[in-house]
Amino acid sequence: MSSNVRHHIVIGSGVAGNQAAETLRERDPDSRITMITISRLPFFNRYDLPRVFRGERDWRRFIIYPADYYRRNRIALRRATRVVGVDSTAQTLTLEHKETIHFDSLLVASGAGAYLPEDMSEFRPLLHGFGAFRDAIEVADALPKKGHAILLGGDTIGLDLARTLLDTGHRVTLVAGPYTFWPHEVTPEERPKYVAALQKMGIVVVEAQERGGIAGVEKGAKGLAARRITFGNGSDLSGDVVMPFFGVAPSLDFMLGSGVDIERGLLVSPNLRTTNENIYAAGDVCQIWTDSEHRYCFYHGWKNVRAMGELAARNITGANEPWVPPQDETLRLSKDGKIQSPFWEYQ
Amino acid sequence: MSTDIQIAIVGSAGDGTIAAGDILRRAMAEMGYRVISFDLYPAEIRGFGKCIARLRVTDEQAYSLKPRSDVLVSLDDSHAIPHVSEAREWGAVIYESGSVTPLAEGAHISAHIDPGQIPYHVPIRELSEKSTGSARSRNIVVLGYIAGLFRLSIDGFLRALNSKFKGKADIAQKNEAALRAGYEEGARWFRLDDIDFGPPPAKGAGATVEMISGNAAVVRGALDAGIDNFFGYPITPATSIMERLASEMPKRGTRLVQTEDEIAAISATVGAGFAGARTATATSGPGLALMSEMLGLGIIAEVPCVVFVSQRGGPSTGLPTKTEQSDLNIAVYGGHGDAPRIVIAPTNVEGCYRCAGKAFEMAEAYQTPVILLLDLYLSNRYETVPFPAKPPFEADMNSYADTRGGNAAGFKRYALTADNVSPRTVPGQKGGMHIATGLEHNELGRPNDQPDNHAAMSRKRHEKLQLALKHPDFTHTKRFGDEGKVEVGVIAWGSTFGEALEAMILARAEGIRCAAMKVVMIAPFPTEAVAAFMADCGDVLIPEVNYQGQFAGILQAHIPRPVTRLARVPCEPMEVGDILAEIRRLAGRTTEQQAA
Repeated sequence: MSSNVRHHIVIGSGVAGNQAAETLRERDPDSRITMITISRLPFFNRYDLPRVFRGERDWRRFIIYPADYYRRNRIALRRATRVVGVDSTAQTLTLEHKETIHFDSLLVASGAGAYLPEDMSEFRPLLHGFGAFRDAIEVADALPKKGHAILLGGDTIGLDLARTLLDTGHRVTLVAGPYTFWPHEVTPEERPKYVAALQKMGIVVVEAQERGGIAGVEKGAKGLAARRITFGNGSDLSGDVVMPFFGVAPSLDFMLGSGVDIERGLLVSPNLRTTNENIYAAGDVCQIWTDSEHRYCFYHGWKNVRAMGELAARNITGANEPWVPPQDETLRLSKDGKIQSPFWEYQ
Repeated sequence: MSTDIQIAIVGSAGDGTIAAGDILRRAMAEMGYRVISFDLYPAEIRGFGKCIARLRVTDEQAYSLKPRSDVLVSLDDSHAIPHVSEAREWGAVIYESGSVTPLAEGAHISAHIDPGQIPYHVPIRELSEKSTGSARSRNIVVLGYIAGLFRLSIDGFLRALNSKFKGKADIAQKNEAALRAGYEEGARWFRLDDIDFGPPPAKGAGATVEMISGNAAVVRGALDAGIDNFFGYPITPATSIMERLASEMPKRGTRLVQTEDEIAAISATVGAGFAGARTATATSGPGLALMSEMLGLGIIAEVPCVVFVSQRGGPSTGLPTKTEQSDLNIAVYGGHGDAPRIVIAPTNVEGCYRCAGKAFEMAEAYQTPVILLLDLYLSNRYETVPFPAKPPFEADMNSYADTRGGNAAGFKRYALTADNVSPRTVPGQKGGMHIATGLEHNELGRPNDQPDNHAAMSRKRHEKLQLALKHPDFTHTKRFGDEGKVEVGVIAWGSTFGEALEAMILARAEGIRCAAMKVVMIAPFPTEAVAAFMADCGDVLIPEVNYQGQFAGILQAHIPRPVTRLARVPCEPMEVGDILAEIRRLAGRTTEQQAA
């Protein structure tokens, strides 16, 4: 492109992407901004999805910015659009429908999808996800009044949902394991007190390890609950829905072959730049070099992710500021014994 | 209305856009919904130009298409991209998710979908290829997708499909496979739009509801009125009148002749009318120009006959496939001399049926040619029409003279009577005088150029037409909207009335006191009724699809009062939004006030 107007492309329309677009518009008023997302929805609050179980089923009520926000800020929002390749040398990206777009700067904020351990993947068709609005509606539809939800793994997203399910009169059983409390790192010594706190909340906790691990997920027999989990020791557990909560995995397939370094996530320097000077990353998709740890680290949670989006946009537009995580990620118990995760604090 | 959904399908000539629209409207009518639809297509047959099929589905008959569609389907992004903004907020945009060839930035429709619209990216081509072995059924896949997405009965679509491809088993089979593939795809999608098809209306007793085009309704009206003869020469957009009559009239033992040109057609029509047969021809503006001399003969010889005129853009060959209302002046005034005629212009498809039948009654009752004025928009648009169980037309309204035992030489074919209609005879009637002269004549029908005679005959030919203003069971004008004094009154004729009515309804919903009047009888002009309406109006707005404001000119010749002309030539029907904006302006409402 011969135009002097810079074209900033943001891949992803979550917390990081939208914060970045907002900051880009503030700092580079004349630029073109294009936001590309595979989602059909405009930016909505994923953390608010449990509200579906309180009867809120209109997705418009979950939208954070109205359509006019994008028009007003001249942010071209391309939904239902999948990026399949990035050419960092030519500064182009290719969309699934073979459209090529040039960028002057690219911010990858494509987030992360629910992670499913390999040994669970064969049961995927029988599991209910919770990453998208449609997933939430389908779970709500599948879960009868006072129904029984079985949560596998138990990361903080799942535990947040468990709180709502209990509040709305459902039963919750957690099949706990190494992913319970993810991404908090809980030591073996501390674990019992947090498990006890879960039980105090009303969650039935089943340690998968004690039952010989999860052997299978099956459809329930006619007249019984819709799903049945079998364990290695021959015991089983029945519920209306089975939902995996094993943490998240970065969504970055399209970056393979782009020429930038990838470990589990996109590797970025403290100023959130990848190994290509025109490509930055923010949010759950990237690992940031952290001097104090001497390694690349993931930082999760609404506040962290939003701060990354803002920082990346600032650095794209001329600043050169390092990442300082604003959020304490420590899991705590309140005085009355309730679990308090900073990842449950958003807005 | 609990159901009010407009679907627009945009593609290139050859994509099957118009066929998809046809099947869709058949399916919706089959399910019992009310439908109004109109297609836009280029003059070329294939490979060029944009095609748009628009369809509004309601549970009560709508008067026009809506300014914005609820669903926009792209079968060709290059043509659909300029129309993306037509889909309303939270409306659905359905499009091909893939591409066969690499695309430049912005060439895919997804780049143009507004944040307020809901994208549905469907592998249309892939579904067509998998289900039928070719990409040719993409249009049918889309129909299936719409059915599945909106939980519509696939059976209705299958019946419409089979009806469309009756006798072509192989094509029907492939299309059914494509329809089912699209349906399954649509049914599994999670819907984010707010489009809801309510139940279709319950079928009423006493009338059958059929989906029919304006031209087909004219044909139905002509047949129900007992047309005996038709002479015609094909011309867009009137051709389908002759085509349909050609298939129907022989079954009834009546006659249709395709003549060598329009002059022959009108000549034969006047001749058959003179002979006492219910006779019509059909043409468009260029043909009407050719017919004007012979129409004069029909007027001076006082011969009943009917001319169906479907207008298109002009002058000359003009815009054969674009709608326009610019032949009003030639219809009312065309020809030489003082040549009054009856001109009626229906405003919807049901009106096409009724006016066509009534045109024959008027022609006979007032012994004169009657022009039924349509336009491409009305001729080609489809609506669901409730047809009465018994045709509402008189079989014979002639005033035949009783000449039994009379003296032919003394028979006054053009007698000056109290109502100016003379007793008539037809050739072969014993004791009658069978004259059809283009010369001015006296009561006996003999040439006479004396001033007193010419004045008397001119008065007779003009005054008798006033009777048409009281023709029974005919809606000459009709008022809608607020009663009494209003801020703005909209007066419209022909196909534009639907848009005017819709705009008036929207204006009232915004708190503007507003009314609309449709004028079906244009010549003779219903001065009394229109003037009474105008007396109630603060401002009078006249929207019409011609450059000059031809109807406004005619109106002001009868009622000298200022009016606001909204005369445009957009090559498409007038937009409701344009009329509404003008109503707001006249009512002194600002955009900000509307928003508030």
